Amino acid sequence: MFVASLLVCALTSALLASWLPLQFSIVTVFLFAGPHNWFELRYFLMRLPVRFGNSRNFFLTAFVGIALLTLTYVSLPLLYRFGFWTNEAWSMVIAVWNTLLLFWLGLLVWLRGQQKVGRNWSWVLPIVLALSSLNWMAPEFFSLAIVYIHPLVALWFLDRHLARTQPDWLQAYRRCLCLLPFLLAGMVWQIARTPALADDNGLFWRITQHAGAQLLPNVSTHLLVSVHVFLEMLHYGVWLLALPLVGPLMLSSRQSRKPEGDDAQPGIWSLRSVPLARHPRGFPKTVAAVLVFGLFVVGLLWFGFSVDYATTRDIYFTVAIAHVLAEAPFLMRML
Amino acid sequence: MKPALCLSTITMILLMTAMPVLADVARPKPSPESKIILHTSLQIVPDAKAYEARLQISADALKYFRAALNEVPANPSLAQRIAHSSTRTIIAGLLLFMSVSLGGVWLARSARSKPRHQKAAAAVLVGIAMLGAAAIITRGNAGPPSYYAWRNLPEALNQGRATQGGIDIEIVPEGSGMKLIVPLKNKQNGEE
Repeated sequence: MFVASLLVCALTSALLASWLPLQFSIVTVFLFAGPHNWFELRYFLMRLPVRFGNSRNFFLTAFVGIALLTLTYVSLPLLYRFGFWTNEAWSMVIAVWNTLLLFWLGLLVWLRGQQKVGRNWSWVLPIVLALSSLNWMAPEFFSLAIVYIHPLVALWFLDRHLARTQPDWLQAYRRCLCLLPFLLAGMVWQIARTPALADDNGLFWRITQHAGAQLLPNVSTHLLVSVHVFLEMLHYGVWLLALPLVGPLMLSSRQSRKPEGDDAQPGIWSLRSVPLARHPRGFPKTVAAVLVFGLFVVGLLWFGFSVDYATTRDIYFTVAIAHVLAEAPFLMRML
Repeated sequence: MKPALCLSTITMILLMTAMPVLADVARPKPSPESKIILHTSLQIVPDAKAYEARLQISADALKYFRAALNEVPANPSLAQRIAHSSTRTIIAGLLLFMSVSLGGVWLARSARSKPRHQKAAAAVLVGIAMLGAAAIITRGNAGPPSYYAWRNLPEALNQGRATQGGIDIEIVPEGSGMKLIVPLKNKQNGEE
């Protein structure tokens, strides 16, 4: 059942993304962008310990990095509008931001390695330096790579979640993952020779640019947008369907301390699965307020998409870098 | 002695005057830079029934041609951009140097502390060597140079046969119309 669901979801996503890429890009972002961020927020709150303890440095580095990198990333489009820099200087600014991101990730990996007994994760430094070097050669391509790699991180989250909650399903899931390159290869084979998408209006142009049309002029924009939409649909599917539905719902076996006789699993709205709210020294009101505010933002996003889809989409994909960054430390905590 | 002194003085004066004269020669004008925007193929077909020379471009090739033309003013190739940005190239090189250095130190230290890491390190090195070898082999099998395909063009034209070979579409700043330059090596030199 689990494998069949995965295969049906993946195949349907690939077919829809290949058939009408621009239309499905608009629809999926409109419907799922906000809700998937809310589910991510809830998942991260569930993974946040009440007291940081030995992980204090790790979380401090994580939160400071998320804040600084998000602020600088959001300010980049504003600075671009003022036209302070030439194209070459602009490439260097992007390269600097990417380098900061890589070093932040490297530092997190190293700090996480320090917490693991008998593990030496100092290999991360040469890798970070090598990736930084590649980034300095072609910063724009490196940024485009992040756009395509980020959706795949959700699949890694699901892998770790299954390892904790449903280890019996893990092997089947990993076998399904092996099909992903074949699906992508099939899409490339089918769409690579198709004519470019008609990006004759501002919104369609934005979508093709986001998928890398300017950087890869010799690749069909149909292929670029289809692959990106396909990966985004998988990303949304993991956060909105797979992670909430894979049991035990939102409750890791280690963290659950249910009273005797209480076999009912906590629902998505229950704060019992969030240690930060459940613990006697926790912050139930703050957690509830954060989640309610998150719902308000989701509603605001839907309203914005309804009024001015193109502008809201631009703002969303700029601010959404925060959730891209936040995934890194919480994924590392699960390794 | 006197003639020798005279001769050396005249030579000195000549040399001293020659230097400022040469220094005043205007710098040669930089020749307008041409740019190859696309590599495609060209088939030359003799047609006895045709009255007009025709350059036929397939719709598919035209698509790539347009994309390449769009790229000309704004987006130079990756290699060109790297070559034209010395600062980024220097930083990239420094980071790569540090990466390789620190990677080597890490390998040496981890191999000493945990012998099983030696196998991993050996696997990584073998992998890199294989990638390098594959790259060399791929380059080695890249096919003969472009002029090889055009080597029999004169005979083919005489016999009315078609000839096909690779061609670079080049945008030149000067001149009008189009010019087809076909590389033909002299067979008497032993090249074919």
